[in-house]
Amino acid sequence: MNIKIVWMDFIYSVKGWYRSRGGMFWSLAFPVILILLFGAIFSGVGSSKYTIYIQDQDQTEMSKALNATLNATKLFNINIVKTDVNVTSFIKEKNIKGLIVIPKGFEQTIKNSFVNPSSQVNLSFYSDPSDQTTTQVIRSVVSSILQEMNKNLSQGKTIIGISEISTITENFNFIDFFLPGMIGFTIMQGAIYGSIERNTKYRKDGILRKLLTTPITRTEWILAKMLFMMFLAALTTALITIIGILVFGMTVNITPLVIIILIATSFLFSGMGMLIGRFVKEEETADTAAGAISFPMMFLAGTFFPLEQMPQFLQTIAHILPLYYVNEGLRNSMIYMNQTESLINGAVVIIFAAVFFISGVLLTKWKED
Amino acid sequence: MIEQRFKCPDCGEIASFYGDPGEQMVVSCAACNSKGRITIPTGGQNNNYAIEVSHLKKVYGDLTAVDDISFSVKTGEVFAFLGPNGAGKTTTVEMIESIREPTAGSITLLGKDVRTQFNEVKEHIGILPQEFHSFERLTVRETLVYFSNLYKKKTDVDEIIQSLDLTSHKNMLYRNLSGGLKQRVGVAISLVNDPEIIFLDEPTTGLDPKARRDVWGVIAELRKKGKTVFLTTHYMEEAEYLADHIAVIFKGKIIAEGTIEDLIRHYGKSSTLHIKKCKNAAEVIESLKQEGYDEVTSEGNGDIAIKIDYKERVLEILSHLRHDCIEYESLDIRRSNLEEVFLRLTGSKLTEEKQ
Repeated sequence: MNIKIVWMDFIYSVKGWYRSRGGMFWSLAFPVILILLFGAIFSGVGSSKYTIYIQDQDQTEMSKALNATLNATKLFNINIVKTDVNVTSFIKEKNIKGLIVIPKGFEQTIKNSFVNPSSQVNLSFYSDPSDQTTTQVIRSVVSSILQEMNKNLSQGKTIIGISEISTITENFNFIDFFLPGMIGFTIMQGAIYGSIERNTKYRKDGILRKLLTTPITRTEWILAKMLFMMFLAALTTALITIIGILVFGMTVNITPLVIIILIATSFLFSGMGMLIGRFVKEEETADTAAGAISFPMMFLAGTFFPLEQMPQFLQTIAHILPLYYVNEGLRNSMIYMNQTESLINGAVVIIFAAVFFISGVLLTKWKED
Repeated sequence: MIEQRFKCPDCGEIASFYGDPGEQMVVSCAACNSKGRITIPTGGQNNNYAIEVSHLKKVYGDLTAVDDISFSVKTGEVFAFLGPNGAGKTTTVEMIESIREPTAGSITLLGKDVRTQFNEVKEHIGILPQEFHSFERLTVRETLVYFSNLYKKKTDVDEIIQSLDLTSHKNMLYRNLSGGLKQRVGVAISLVNDPEIIFLDEPTTGLDPKARRDVWGVIAELRKKGKTVFLTTHYMEEAEYLADHIAVIFKGKIIAEGTIEDLIRHYGKSSTLHIKKCKNAAEVIESLKQEGYDEVTSEGNGDIAIKIDYKERVLEILSHLRHDCIEYESLDIRRSNLEEVFLRLTGSKLTEEKQ
C-alpha cells in the first residue's frame, strides 16, 4: 500500500469536488437551507391540549377528586405516574414539561384543617421554565382549581397551596430532533451518489479500465475514496452543527461515539451505492434507483419527524432501515446525551456498514466481462 | 545459449528454441507439425517481440467474440489492429491489457505472462482506453500529474504537455476541452510513465479531420522515438498512414496480417494507369487492345483505365502512347489500397463513413 497515492487521490478528489457547484450545493448549501427552512417552519409550534403528569402519593378520595377535577377541565391530557417512580429522573428521562405531585397526607391535612385552621398542604408542580407557555397554562388552571377548592373548604383560607419546582431538563424541540437527522441524511446522499458515480460514470468513461492498468491498487483507490467521503462527512457535520449552535442556540455534543457513527455511516452508504451501481449500470438509472431507495428511507427512518407520529407498521419498517439507527445514534449522543442508547444504535450502524461495504466491494466488478 | 521465440508462419503457434547466436536450425511446429528453418539472432535482446498473443479466445455464451487468434508485435513498430466495429478489436486489446479475462490462450507483454505477471508490466505500458473521458474537474496539467504520481518512474509532465502541443490548454479543466484536445490529453496520459508499449484504442473515432491529423502526428512522433504502439482502428487510412504492420480482424478472426505492401500485394488488385481526357480515346483503346492489353476500359469523358500487372508495363504503355502521339490532360497510376484489400477479403466495406 502506498499512502502517498492514497493521499494524492484524496487531494485531487477534494479539488474536483470544490470545483463542482453541484457537489458543493448538495453537500453544503442544501442541508443548510433545509435546516434553516425547517427550523423556521417548526419553531413555536404548540399543541392546544397540554400534557400533564400526576403522581398521586396520597391515593385517597380527596386526591382522586382533585384528579377528576383537573380532568374535567378538558384542557389536559392527564397521565398518571406510579407512586414508586422517582419524579426527578422521570422528568429528565421523558423530557416532561409539567408534573404535579399530590403528597401523602393530602386528605388527612384537609380533614385536620377543620379542627386546626393553620394546617396546610402543598402540591408540588414541576415545571419547565424554558417552556413558559405550557408552564403558565398549567399554573393558572391548577391555581384556579385550588382556589375554588379552598373557598369551599374554608371560606377562602388557603389550605391547599402549590409550590412550584423548576425542572432543569433541557427543552428539546423540533430543531434538536431535526439536526442530527439532517447530518445523517446528507452523509447518506453524498456517499450513495458518490459511490454510484464511481461505479457507473467512471466505468463508462474508461477511468476504471485505465486505473486497472496503472499501479494503483484496489485498496488504495477505495481507501482514498473513503477518506474523501469522511472529509465530506466531517465538513457537513461541522457546518450543520455550527448553524445549529449559532442560529438556533442549540447545545450539540460531538462525542467520540458521534465520530465513530459518522465514519461507519460513510462506509455503510458507500457500500450501498456500490451495490446499486453494480446492478443498475446506467448512471442516470442508477441515480433514480438511489433516489427510490434513499428518499423513502429518509422519511421512514425518522429524519424529519419522530417515528411515534407514524402508524405502527411503518414504525416496524423503520427498525430495519440503517438510516434509522444512524439518526437515533447521532441524536442520542449529540443531543440527548444518552450515550448508552447511542452505543447500541452505533453498534447496529457498524454491523450494517460491515455488511454493505464488504458485499459492495466483493460484488463490484472491477474487471470487464 | 540463448532463448528465442518464434512464431509458426502456418498456424501462429509461438514456441521457444535455444541455440547460440547466429545458429541455424530446422525446427518443427508443435501445433501443426510444419517444418521450417530458423536462425537464432546475434547479439541484442533475445526477444524482440513486445507483444505476443497465442491462440487467444474469448467466448460470451453463444458468441465467440475472439476466435483463436495469434500474432506478435515487434519492439518499436506501430502495429495497427484493423477491423470494423464489433469485429473483436477492443475485446482483444482489453485482454492484452488484462482488463478482460481470456477464455483461452496466452498473452505476453515484454516477455511477461499477462495473467500472472501483469503487475510487473504495469510500469512499462501506457493505455488509452476506448472512448476515454478523464476526471472532469481537473485541469490538463493536474490530470497528467495525477496519473504520473501513480507510477514509480517519473517523467517531466510539462515536457509531455509541450510535446503534445497542450501548453496553451494546460490550465483548462478537462471538461471544457474539445473532443480532439481530450483525445490528445488521453494520449498524453498514456505517456506519463514513459512506457515501452503504448496501447491506443480507437484514438481518433469521432474526431474531425484536423483533430485526427493532430493525433496521427503524435503517433508518428512516438514511432520516431522507438516506442511500440498498438493501435486499434476501423479507419483504413489511419492504418495505412501510421502502421508498420497490420492485422485485419473480422468476426473474431485475423483474416490477414503483414505490412501494407504485403497485404496489397497479396490481396489487392494490381495497379491501374488512368489517362484523363484523352482526345482520341476510342482509337487508343483499340490500339492498346491490339497490342495485347486486354484490360483496357473506357470510363467515359475520354478517360481510360488500363490494368497493370507489373511495373515494366507502365513504360511499355507510355512509349506506345507517345508513338501514337495522343493528347491527354493527365496521367496517374493508382495503387490498390487497404479498402480494396478489405473488400476483397470480407466482401464488405470496412467503414460506413460518418464524416
